Amino acid sequence: MGWIITIVVMLVYLVIVLFLGSLAGKGRAKTTLEYIAASRNLGFIITYFLMGAAIFSAFAYLGGPGWAYSKGAAAFYILGYCSLGLVPWWIWGPKAHKLGVSYGYVTQAQLFADRFQSKALSVIMGIVSILAFFQYIALQMKGSAYIFEVASGGRIPFWAGALISYAVVLIYVFFGGVRGVAWTNVFQGVFMISVAWILGLYLPHHLYGSPAEMFRQINQANPHHLLVGPGTKMSYPAYASALLVSVLGFMMWPHLFMKAYTTKSDRILKQTILMYPTFAIFMVPVLFIGFAGVLQVAPDKLGAPDRILPWMFNQMGWSPFVIGIILAAALAAAMSTQDTISHAAGSIFQQDVAEVLSKRKHSEKEATMWIRISVVGFGIVSYLIAVFGKQTLVALLLGAYGSIVQFLPLAVFTFFWPRATKAGAISGLCAGVLYNYLIVFKVVPKLWGIHAGIQGLVINVIVFIIVSLLTKPMDKEHVKKFVEV
Amino acid sequence: MEHNQEKWRYGFRLFKPGTPRKVKVRSLVFFFILIAIMFFQAFYWLFANKVEPLVWGMPFSMFFIVLVIVIEFFVLLVLYFLEGADEKKGGEA
Repeated sequence: MGWIITIVVMLVYLVIVLFLGSLAGKGRAKTTLEYIAASRNLGFIITYFLMGAAIFSAFAYLGGPGWAYSKGAAAFYILGYCSLGLVPWWIWGPKAHKLGVSYGYVTQAQLFADRFQSKALSVIMGIVSILAFFQYIALQMKGSAYIFEVASGGRIPFWAGALISYAVVLIYVFFGGVRGVAWTNVFQGVFMISVAWILGLYLPHHLYGSPAEMFRQINQANPHHLLVGPGTKMSYPAYASALLVSVLGFMMWPHLFMKAYTTKSDRILKQTILMYPTFAIFMVPVLFIGFAGVLQVAPDKLGAPDRILPWMFNQMGWSPFVIGIILAAALAAAMSTQDTISHAAGSIFQQDVAEVLSKRKHSEKEATMWIRISVVGFGIVSYLIAVFGKQTLVALLLGAYGSIVQFLPLAVFTFFWPRATKAGAISGLCAGVLYNYLIVFKVVPKLWGIHAGIQGLVINVIVFIIVSLLTKPMDKEHVKKFVEV
Repeated sequence: MEHNQEKWRYGFRLFKPGTPRKVKVRSLVFFFILIAIMFFQAFYWLFANKVEPLVWGMPFSMFFIVLVIVIEFFVLLVLYFLEGADEKKGGEA
């Protein structure tokens, strides 16, 4: 009967976020600016957790310990990239914020499409982003379905587990907009970080006496586990290029980039960037959870490395109530990422694809309604993909997922290179995305284990520059707006 | 041509016109410090790809990475306050 108590604890958590999120946007204006960007009025604490929740995803909570368990030192890359991911934003965050205030942008593609005067660019970016989002959501859904499977001892099937928590997300995003996302992220963030720390510090102490003793024993049993390079699970170039591409690409994720439009001022953006390395520190004990498992269970007995966290507490003989709290925290990690993504996907589909292609201008109220409908539409499609998706489809989404970093030259050239032209922007982006797909579909081999994103970036930048120089410069007064903010 | 302020060129442009020299130098210095921090993370294995000595309960490699994160935090903190002091003096940015 224990599993019922566990499920009840999780349901209590779900009800709390459902109400918190749905009521967060109550009494606010019915405009797209409010629904997407909270009327550019969010303060530091909220922005901090809003950005933090994006990295504290199911990947961090289940995947992070999984990496520490199966790949060892390769998992340290998560710390490096988490601490540095927001730093490039110091350069374009404030610029994007100021331009947003001046010209009314609420999405990433609106800024670039305006700079390069191209509807096509907006639509291409919108489509790549949404495909990448499907993949992102599918990962989180697998996480939450697995959490329910563990909680119920296999009684709740995949389709139901993925559905329950995501339905809650869609409801509060539908009603609450970005404020719903933000307020639930504060609650979910505090909740999951507390649980992660308690677990991460308790397990090594309980099983080994101390973290130091744990690492000493791991090192004795397997001297390669805590190193990278030849003979380990990650080569030197793979580690370095994965970290660099993650740092450069992180803020190009549209759902993160567009948060430049939600804050009250650029000082708040900088405070968020400044405090962001704390999330990397929060990740340290999360990795301890995975390391604690190394000497406890053999990989073939465990099945998938992501199962290390549930396996650990199943061995502990904890009460079903405690297990419910831990699983609710894991669910919080998955959901706090799903909500931002779904919100961004609906906003991007309506603003950057549908509105751009439609002949008729919608009123503010209509547009907001369409965004809400897009959020739900996106949710349904991504659910169907996660549950019924076939292998080729997965490759298609993975390609888009790896293509996000290809937006980077757009940002650099928008703010620093007035000579960049529309033709250059579109051909550079397409070349980078295409090359990335060729690698994903294994048409082109991956050179020296270097991350596909870096290789695509090189091609992207070369094509972007050459085509820009071959085409007529854009209007001086127009480009000035962007390089002189 | 070079001294002619009116002539507007399409070349790369790191700063908007009229940015004080002090701000330009500071921005570039911090830019390169942060690039260096990024390289210390990406290439940590050049410096600290070893387990012993264990520091603060972590393998030396992990300790090194955490240390770089702490340094990064203080670098950003200094940059934040320097920029903040400037904005106060200059009225608005």
